[in-house]
Amino acid sequence: MTIIRNQAESRSPFPGGAYREIDELIQGNPALWRGCDMAGQGDHGRSTGFAQLDDILPGRGWPDKGLMEVITPQWGMGELQLLIPLMRSVIEQGKWILWISPPYLLYAPALTQAGINTEQVLLVDQGTSCKDALWTMEKALQTENCGLVLAWQNWLPDTVLRRLQLAADSGDTLGVLFKHNVSKHSQSIMKLKIKGSPGESSRFKGSEVTVVKARGNFRPMSTRIKLYQPD
Amino acid sequence: MEDPDSTGQLPSPSIQGKASAQVLKLPLSLGHPHRSTNKHGLDRNELGKNGLGNEVRSKAKPNLWYALYLPQLDQLPESQQKTYLNQLAGLMQDVSSTVSFHPQALICEIRSSLKYFSGIDNIHRKLSEAISEKLQQWQLPEQFSYAASPTISGSLLLARSGHNRLVYRQENLRSALGELSVEVLDLNKEQHRRLYNMGVRHLRDIWRLPSSSLRKRFGSHFVDLLNKALGKAPEPTHNYLPPPAFTTSYELPYELESLDRLLPIADELIAQLCDFLTQRDLSTSHMVFSLLHEKRSATEINLGLRIASRNNEQLMLLLETHFSKLLIPAPVIAVKLKVKKFDAFFGQSESLLVGGRPSGSNSGSSNALDQFMDQLQARLGSERLKNICSVAEHCPEYASQRQNYHQQNKTAMSKQVALNPRPLWLLAQPQQLRVNKGRLYHRSNISILSGPERIESRWWTGEDIRRDYYVAEESNGCRLWIYRERRGERNWYLHGLFS
Repeated sequence: MTIIRNQAESRSPFPGGAYREIDELIQGNPALWRGCDMAGQGDHGRSTGFAQLDDILPGRGWPDKGLMEVITPQWGMGELQLLIPLMRSVIEQGKWILWISPPYLLYAPALTQAGINTEQVLLVDQGTSCKDALWTMEKALQTENCGLVLAWQNWLPDTVLRRLQLAADSGDTLGVLFKHNVSKHSQSIMKLKIKGSPGESSRFKGSEVTVVKARGNFRPMSTRIKLYQPD
Repeated sequence: MEDPDSTGQLPSPSIQGKASAQVLKLPLSLGHPHRSTNKHGLDRNELGKNGLGNEVRSKAKPNLWYALYLPQLDQLPESQQKTYLNQLAGLMQDVSSTVSFHPQALICEIRSSLKYFSGIDNIHRKLSEAISEKLQQWQLPEQFSYAASPTISGSLLLARSGHNRLVYRQENLRSALGELSVEVLDLNKEQHRRLYNMGVRHLRDIWRLPSSSLRKRFGSHFVDLLNKALGKAPEPTHNYLPPPAFTTSYELPYELESLDRLLPIADELIAQLCDFLTQRDLSTSHMVFSLLHEKRSATEINLGLRIASRNNEQLMLLLETHFSKLLIPAPVIAVKLKVKKFDAFFGQSESLLVGGRPSGSNSGSSNALDQFMDQLQARLGSERLKNICSVAEHCPEYASQRQNYHQQNKTAMSKQVALNPRPLWLLAQPQQLRVNKGRLYHRSNISILSGPERIESRWWTGEDIRRDYYVAEESNGCRLWIYRERRGERNWYLHGLFS
């Protein structure tokens, strides 16, 4: 109602004023769905560090908060390389990164090489039960000191995902869930799928990253990026 | 009837009479002249009687001070004397509510506990057993002297003389003290010499001397001491204050099996604790919450905090976290909360400006982080929560160190790491790779991208490490860190994933 009245008011002095109102509305509200128009969404997100990926993400970067799912056919497909720039920015903000029961040993020298201060990295051991791991994840997502929570859980019911999503929203934290399979109806804010390069025959190096779902994006898009640093 | 009474009261010495009349006149203005005077007369009588009664009672039941003198403490340093005396005072608290400190001596009031222990002999036996045990424990000579009398200084002097006497009545004190040698008095050498030259050998010789001349020659301190010993002057005590301890418990009206239903009771106990802490300006970092069961030992929950707190909500949150993973073996019949360790409370200053940050930069958020870590440790156990850091070490397995969260040692950390690429994931055990038709094979074919990086290390420990590391890529796009042994069968191993 207010919008219509505003439009009516603005229409009388400026004939073109209605567009300005709409523009303002679009600029001011990132959650507004805008069809296939990706251009005018501003850059409110944190850049992923990969230009091609930024181009297909709403807000040209990672979301600030919420639950994100990264789907890979197996562990170690470059999913961590994808998040390294994000981790760096989280550390720079003075926040912590929590790793909840990663499948392998986290190797500190590699983190240091990537420019991540290991003092702000906290690890929950592998032997933790699923229940405890999820509890930890929820609590960590609710805490504002944790900037990024990484967890490896392959299969979780949608209700749990919903709960984690709510926790992340309340704590202004980004949670990343690494998994092998796509859960169709989950409420997570973004779903990414990483596929490896298709064999040696095609000499193109790089991994295929597909945005299966992103809030503010209406159809899956994919791009090819080089996740690993040049040798 | 009333008039004679009031007139009977009125005749009194001139000045005092005037004063009392003035005092008495005050209620007259209230409008009940006769009655009030009468009443006051009665009051005065009663008052007099009461006063007399008090006097009689105070003569019949003055305090009885039990003194304990430990001459062996004299050789110890002062701080140790203090700790020993403190511990002994703790023991003496079993028999008396008032324990007073004196040099190398402790004194407690036992008149009030005579009835309870049925006689001074029992009290003495109880104390001497406990004290001998303590002295044995400290490897000190097991000798101590004791005495009891109606005054503190009197008991102290009697104990010092080593006579181990009991003087019940104050009127006997003079003669009892008179037998003591003047050596027991706490005087300097010059004063002792002077007393000796005066022909004073025992205290009874002093009794014969006029106090005014004594005061002139030996100072008022000396006379005060004697007056105190005889009960003629008030004696201040240096009371022993036990360290603060908080214990509270709640007996449930019926057995409870569900811990959720215990929460309101726990909340109540913790609120009591927080009140206790607030009143004493303390905070705590460790408390024990016990759940008592019938015919079973109690379940104890140790609540530890990273930073001492007295925040009701924080403590409650921690307790709830503990409860959530706790399995109780039997229904709970009572709960008990005990806190023995306390810390000083450090408050946080709020910002003066509305919406501004607190003055200590980031202190608020680090506090929140500590709370979160406490909660995590409570749920997961402290050994589950790890920090990692790089260590200056060539051998890849040892270059990353995991430590329990709270025991970070920053000395081992190094900012310098190898320049060659390192993987984010390391396999706990290197995994041997197959060679398939002359090509390396893991999940699919592997092709080498870069290398080798030769690492030879730890020959001094017996496990000789001689490896050539390569960065390789699987055909599905996974980047791997593999190595080849440079000895034995020269096998290939997968050691890490770049992920």
